[in-house]
Amino acid sequence: MAANTTKHATHADPSAQNWRYIVRLEKVDMTFGRVQALSQIDFQVGRNEIVGLVGDNGAGKSTLIKIVSGVLRPTAGKIWVRDRPLDLDDYSVRMAHELRIETVHQGQSLGEKQPLWRNLFVGRQITGPFGFIDVKKEKEVADRLLLQAIGFRGHGISADSTVRDLSGGERQGIAIARAMYFQADLIVLDEPTTALAVSEVRKVLNFVEGVKAGGRACIYIEHNLAHVHEVADRLVLLDRGKVAAEFAKGEITLTGLTNQMIALHEGRAHVRG
Amino acid sequence: MSAVESARKRFLQVEGLPIVAVLLILVLAFMISAPEVFLGYRIYMSFLATVPPLLVLAVALTLVIAAGEIDLSFPSVLALSGWVLGYFIHDLGLPWIGFVLALVSGALVGYVNGILIARVGIPSIIATLATQFLWGGLTTVLSQGLSYSLGDVDQFLLWRLLVGRIGPFPVQALWALAVAAALWLVLNRRRFGEHLLFIGDNARVAEVVGVNVKREKIRMFVLMGVMAAFASVLLTLENKNFFNTQGGGYLLEVMAAVFIGGTSVFGGKASVVGTVAGSFIIGMVEAGLVATGLQGFWVRAVVGIVFLAAVVGHLVIEEPERGRASLRMLLGKFAPERKVPP
Amino acid sequence: MRALAPTVAAIGMMAAAAGLPAQAQEPLGAGITMYFQMGGNPGDGSTLPRTNGAKAAAAAFGVKLVEQYSGWQPEKMLNQFKEALAASPSCIEIMGHPGNDAFAALVADAEKRSIVVTSGNSPLTKLKDMYTANGFGYAGVDLYEGGKLTAQKMIEYGGLKKGDKALSYGLRAQAERGKSDQGLYDTLKAAGLQVDYIEISPEVDHDASLAVPILAAYIQKHPDLKAIGTQHGNVTAFIGKALQDAGKKPGEITVGGIDLSPATIDGLKKGYISVTLDQQLYLQGFLPVVQCVLSKKYGFAGLSTNTGAGVVTPKTIGALVPLIEKGIR
Repeated sequence: MAANTTKHATHADPSAQNWRYIVRLEKVDMTFGRVQALSQIDFQVGRNEIVGLVGDNGAGKSTLIKIVSGVLRPTAGKIWVRDRPLDLDDYSVRMAHELRIETVHQGQSLGEKQPLWRNLFVGRQITGPFGFIDVKKEKEVADRLLLQAIGFRGHGISADSTVRDLSGGERQGIAIARAMYFQADLIVLDEPTTALAVSEVRKVLNFVEGVKAGGRACIYIEHNLAHVHEVADRLVLLDRGKVAAEFAKGEITLTGLTNQMIALHEGRAHVRG
Repeated sequence: MSAVESARKRFLQVEGLPIVAVLLILVLAFMISAPEVFLGYRIYMSFLATVPPLLVLAVALTLVIAAGEIDLSFPSVLALSGWVLGYFIHDLGLPWIGFVLALVSGALVGYVNGILIARVGIPSIIATLATQFLWGGLTTVLSQGLSYSLGDVDQFLLWRLLVGRIGPFPVQALWALAVAAALWLVLNRRRFGEHLLFIGDNARVAEVVGVNVKREKIRMFVLMGVMAAFASVLLTLENKNFFNTQGGGYLLEVMAAVFIGGTSVFGGKASVVGTVAGSFIIGMVEAGLVATGLQGFWVRAVVGIVFLAAVVGHLVIEEPERGRASLRMLLGKFAPERKVPP
Repeated sequence: MRALAPTVAAIGMMAAAAGLPAQAQEPLGAGITMYFQMGGNPGDGSTLPRTNGAKAAAAAFGVKLVEQYSGWQPEKMLNQFKEALAASPSCIEIMGHPGNDAFAALVADAEKRSIVVTSGNSPLTKLKDMYTANGFGYAGVDLYEGGKLTAQKMIEYGGLKKGDKALSYGLRAQAERGKSDQGLYDTLKAAGLQVDYIEISPEVDHDASLAVPILAAYIQKHPDLKAIGTQHGNVTAFIGKALQDAGKKPGEITVGGIDLSPATIDGLKKGYISVTLDQQLYLQGFLPVVQCVLSKKYGFAGLSTNTGAGVVTPKTIGALVPLIEKGIR
């Protein structure tokens, strides 16, 4: 069964139907000691929008989505979810989940030594009386999910399998299946195609398009410009902690995008103030 | 996977089965080599009186190691909590208050450890090594270097309840098994336990899936402290004595029990059942060898062999590729034709 | 005549008054600093009475006492001697565990600097003979003789005969400490008993309660065992438990041990322990301080005192209990 609705406004909540942005960051800064990872970031994701987030290594992409997903608290700025402001002291991964924001982090979404059923439900375990985890139920749901999710039939993988036994693509599939099971309205993907076989990459891209078709939103970080250029409704370029440029679908070609990236890297393009 | 392969895998997945099998084989071997001792009930009653403190410590430590940490300070809790209990019984005649305060002292040690490790960021091996000296030294000061004989403590209800005898059967064995069962449940059926496993697996992953790593680590060390204090109470009451140097002989034994049991030193994977079996193996082996007629000199060597065999065995089961490669490398040194890789 | 009594009283009072300033004089050991090797760890059963004796003597004589604890490790004792040398005290007390040769150069250095060196617990005969004139004495038991005495008393009180089976549980692997177990073993053997030997493991050495199942197993394996002897203080305390676990009644097996830790009281009282060697450890602490003061101030020669008075039995334990609990006996 799907996860329950909570007290926060969600996609399905009729009282909050008229919001524009599922998430919006305003003038967000993130400083680690003396390092300014993000400065004055204005970033938003529309209701049914796929936002491609690109930028060179160290641009701040991972930091940005860690803020969106509740892992990091920004040093300055505001965050709105479904046009309602967040109390940044309260915001956490758990609250992000309650707000139906799910994230697939690069290479660190799953506990490698843990079985799949545990990975699926960690942080929101199905519990029975006295708060004991209902392992049987979790395994049942996990098995069902494996059948439904990205191509797991007949691979000898079960709910008891350890993540370590899975290939890169299969792990990605699990992490994404988890996000979908908990009915994400916004799904954030951090470099989902790294270390994937070609066929598996195609599956991920199809999935991203499916998210859009289902009326949901997605932030998609991608190194491979061809992939993201194909699926994104809007592209945001991050450079050294700042938003360098934004392009709507069709506004820039792949070649143009590539050149922009190179120019930024070489310091010739302007950074949008 | 073939039918044989999957059957083998399912067999090996029953928690702790391999090491329980080793324990049973060991007992069987002792029954054969020393029937006058191991076919009677007395020696087992003796074990059931001495293994419980070791078992409680080892099971608690299993959770700590599952979370990727270590605690070297528990011998000092054995001393400190033992002193608290001993003082309250010997000097003040207040066994129950002494019991509660003994547990509190263990919690205090654990809390300090937790703060040093989770908040200040000192690696657990260093922090707990340091606190080991701190609390051990404090115990010597508090006890003025004296040991207490708790003479007729067996008259007290507390004594009868915790370490009394039902016939020849030592009650502390029941308490130890209850602790083991409770901690098994915590590790495998409680959110807290899953959090510890994730922290030990990969602290970064734990963070992004919503685990409050700092808070859970502090809780875990407090739990370890309380369990160590409980072990100390069992030990002190059973001995009817507080020795202010008690505890030091347990450090290596407890760690051996945990790793023989199959818990991974890297964290993320742990077996409480294995630790229970490991504790009995460690607790029994010297007596068994002595009864067999082997010199005590052999004991450490045998423990070492069992330890290595268990660790390699677990490796082979967990990671067949690495396990086979290790075996090939070991045997490679003895097979003259093979070249050991540079 | 009526004036006689008051006169005598007056003279008596004046004499007393003349004597008073003498009493208000400085204590004998004022200004003397002594570094003292206590041996084990603070509070140890075999260390505590020594510490208390040394402290009492130091307080009585006004000596500044610096306690050193080495956990019975010879290398540590040598290092601590070097530390003592660096502080240039009046006296240093050492133990024989490292051996005469290891100490020779260090003691020579100390002697050259007019530091009084004396010894206790375990002898350094060669060095003692060299420096007796400078105050090098000995206050302790001859370890071998101690083990021998224990065994002799075991045989006497236990009625042990030729051919009886006995177990010696000890630390023969340790060079100095092992001599006491050797003495016990040899004596039992010489009396015609069949003696088996087991070495105490490091874990048991530290936490003696771990010996219980081991001894219980041995006892059960050898039902006709007549005697168990050890010279390990803490292990002595737990032999009674092992006998209980093995189903033996007090007196069925003659048990010989050493020292009088609080835990041993139970065993003696209940009759599980037959004899225990009394090292009178308190004297091993007290006497070297006296030696220090007398030799430093007045140049008296070193005195050798055997502090091992004999054994304590279930019959004699009663009177000693209050002193044991205070860490004096």
